[in-house]
Amino acid sequence: MASRQFATFEVDDQLFGVEVGAVQEVLSFSEYTPVPLAPSSVGGLFNLRGQVIAAVDLRVQLGLERRVIDGPVMNVILRADDEPVSLLVDRIGEVIDLDDSRFEPPPDTLSGPVRDLVVGTYKLDDRLMLALDVKAAVDTSRVPS
Amino acid sequence: MEELGDIVHEFLMESHENLDQLDRDLVTLEQEPHSRELISRIFRTIHTIKGTSGFLAFSKLETLTHAGESLLSRLRDGVQPVTQETITVLLAMLDKVRALLASIEETGSEGDVEIESVIERLQRQMSDGGPAEQPSPPAADASASGDAASPTAEDSGNQPSADASSGEGGHPSAEEASAPTPTRDIPDDKTGRRPLGQLLVESGAATQADVTWAVQRQVEGDERKLGTILLEEGKTTPAAINEALQAQNKRSVADSAIRVDVDLLDSLMNLVGELVLARNQLVRGVAELGDPALIRTTQRLNIITSELQEGIMKTRMQPIEHLWAKLPRVVRDLANACGKRVRLVMEGKETELDRSLLEAVKDPLTHLVRNAVDHGIETPEERAAAGKNPEGTLTLRAFHESGHVTVEVSDDGRGIDVERVAHKAIERGLLRPDQVATMDPREIMMLIFQPGFSTAKQVTNVSGRGVGMDVVKTNIERIGGNVDVESTPGKGTTLRLTIPLTLAIIQALTVECAGERYVVPQVAVHELVYIDGETTKIEYASGTPVYRLRGNLLPLVRLDRVLDLPPAGDKGVYVVVLQADGRRFGMVVDRVLNTEEVVVKALTARFKDIGLYAGATILGDGKVALILDVASLARRSHLSAGQAERQTTVTTTGTTAKSEDVNRLLIASVGDRRVAIPLDMVTRLEEFPVDRIERAGMREVVQYRGQILPLARLSHLLGVMSEPEEEERIPMVVYTERGRSVALVVDKIVDIVEDKITALRDSDDDAMLGTAIVQQRVTELLDVRRAILAADPNFYNDVPDAMLVEA
Repeated sequence: MASRQFATFEVDDQLFGVEVGAVQEVLSFSEYTPVPLAPSSVGGLFNLRGQVIAAVDLRVQLGLERRVIDGPVMNVILRADDEPVSLLVDRIGEVIDLDDSRFEPPPDTLSGPVRDLVVGTYKLDDRLMLALDVKAAVDTSRVPS
Repeated sequence: MEELGDIVHEFLMESHENLDQLDRDLVTLEQEPHSRELISRIFRTIHTIKGTSGFLAFSKLETLTHAGESLLSRLRDGVQPVTQETITVLLAMLDKVRALLASIEETGSEGDVEIESVIERLQRQMSDGGPAEQPSPPAADASASGDAASPTAEDSGNQPSADASSGEGGHPSAEEASAPTPTRDIPDDKTGRRPLGQLLVESGAATQADVTWAVQRQVEGDERKLGTILLEEGKTTPAAINEALQAQNKRSVADSAIRVDVDLLDSLMNLVGELVLARNQLVRGVAELGDPALIRTTQRLNIITSELQEGIMKTRMQPIEHLWAKLPRVVRDLANACGKRVRLVMEGKETELDRSLLEAVKDPLTHLVRNAVDHGIETPEERAAAGKNPEGTLTLRAFHESGHVTVEVSDDGRGIDVERVAHKAIERGLLRPDQVATMDPREIMMLIFQPGFSTAKQVTNVSGRGVGMDVVKTNIERIGGNVDVESTPGKGTTLRLTIPLTLAIIQALTVECAGERYVVPQVAVHELVYIDGETTKIEYASGTPVYRLRGNLLPLVRLDRVLDLPPAGDKGVYVVVLQADGRRFGMVVDRVLNTEEVVVKALTARFKDIGLYAGATILGDGKVALILDVASLARRSHLSAGQAERQTTVTTTGTTAKSEDVNRLLIASVGDRRVAIPLDMVTRLEEFPVDRIERAGMREVVQYRGQILPLARLSHLLGVMSEPEEEERIPMVVYTERGRSVALVVDKIVDIVEDKITALRDSDDDAMLGTAIVQQRVTELLDVRRAILAADPNFYNDVPDAMLVEA
């Protein structure tokens, strides 16, 4: 049975994962330039080796409170639509190989903003990992400012 | 297949360049019909296209260029003369070639571009001009395609007849070429290339005798190519043939340049920008360490980096000639269409500027050129009558000047009629008559850049629709440039575009607002004013902050408010005086930090909707800062067209430094009430016959200058009984903003007063701002905004009112 590699990270104690192919890099960064009038899910801009990258606050995307940035925050930099964009997350987890047999569609009872962002659930030994829909996760036009 | 794709791509790029050159050459040819060199060059280029299209199996293109080539060969051989008509047909052919190329580029095939009509015209030209040449199938050797495919390049060694004739003599036989040889398709390469034999003899790789012998063999029916014969008979070496073949291809001179993907240059540019930053950090760090050897090394790194940056910048520079290439054609076609005679002079075509800027300047420049031909230069008769050369001169001039590129478009035409501009401006509601008196002619001339302005008596299909000049200005300002006009009646007009050298690096002012830094392009900044709250202070005109800048009211925009940030006070702040879209306004910020050169980075599309940011940049400390878009900042703050203009022209008497504002008010009577309207909310006073009032839905409207003007009766708004309309005409106060107008109907215009408003009391009437004593009489101040909305609820919305669109 086929398996996939996922880069995992946590937001609000929930484990999320994206396929490693979509991840450019992971790094911690502390200085973000706010973008006034931008959607509230935009955490700010930062300088990644000369490139200006927008950081998307995954908390807001998930319907949680906006993150207060007062120190280093972990960035998962994704390539979406050819343009690198970063997801601000709480903690970075491991890269794990997951067998397709562990996959299940999102539970019907899952609702709210989270439902729009996940493509399905992977049953790990001790917990569940929600596989993110990369495009939806970085789509800042979903949440109004 | 991939390889073929590359070849097609190469072919398209090269052909596009060639076509521009052809346009120019044909237009020049029209003026110098006897230039053999020019005809030969045109012929050669067409032939190259034909050859390659044959090789790539673009049959329409091949047929079309073949027809063009046939006509050109007759011109070249002197069978028929170069006429204006011939040039027109040849230009038409070029347009078809362009259409075909565009189709190939888009769909990969020639599509259904219709070419027959042009071919027919080409053939008619030929039959008109002399003995008809049979359109023969394209020459079997699709040779001239040389650079596109090596097998064909080899072919060019084989020019049986041409090489034969010229090879013998060792030089091209012009006599034979000029003799009409209508029955045979002239081997084309003769004009474009020097015979291989000749080249071999010249380079000493073969003897004259050998070449003559080989040519003789060909004439006798040897199917082999000249080079092959010589090679196989051991008369020369493969290397020599190769060399000669390369030399034969004249275009190879251009091979010293290579094509580079612009994206690659952009990314190099990015990296260099980053390198500069890293260097700066390193230099700082090393200076602290104080190690002499390390300092020397960083100094070297410093110099190398600067040179590298300069070099990369240069790779993006292109001569403005690229832009001008299309203009001779534009001028020619337009002049012909208008029945004018125009000579185009270009000076400084080697002036270089960043290619992204070239793109941005292209349309504005074309518009200015069209405008000059259409409006500036008079007809030959008018010119002769004015004692001028019947042929007008349009001069394009480009040069570098203090870090900018200046591009001028000058004509020696009739010049701009300042009177007419002023008249028009008043008519269009852009100015009040009393304003004109105080304006100098230059200021008035600048009005031609206002939206909706055109002084052309007649609207032609070229220009005069009143769109364009404002777009020119907007586009040039968008790239940080400037437009200026100079004109002498009867002598001509010069329009001057000042453009920054590059878009990628701009001089910028860094300001601080609510703890964050923002960057303003320096070109937009006029001056800085520190507001201490005492000698300099922010004042409010019905809630709108303003600053008295040398007696004129400068409308202010609070950056913190615009960006929805925590507001700062009115003291200890700075006003950055900015200019955008030809209007001045002040931006209030907390601090002004410094000016520096910054590398502009594009901002991700997700922030496009905000519209306030022109990009982002990385500051010296590595942090990202947003670059403010000054023009949209002005718009966002409702400092639209008329309002800002009027506010700035309302001059306050400098002596009255008290807090009471001196107001200019229009006093009108409505029923038994006396109503004051601030004069800066009055664009015009009009009277309309009662019977012109029509109804549209629930609203009353009048037709006014081709627009539908919504009305609001103040009597209805105030709930008073209006005096019965005995008069046939009723007075209205018209207010125009951003091209939209509304009219407020009053009973009578009483007076215009300039007075200090004293004892302002709140009014219990919603339609009023308050009650004041004006000229010793109780007067109510109208809430104009409310009244306007009563006439047109969508007046302040950007979505045009459906009703107005109908107009």
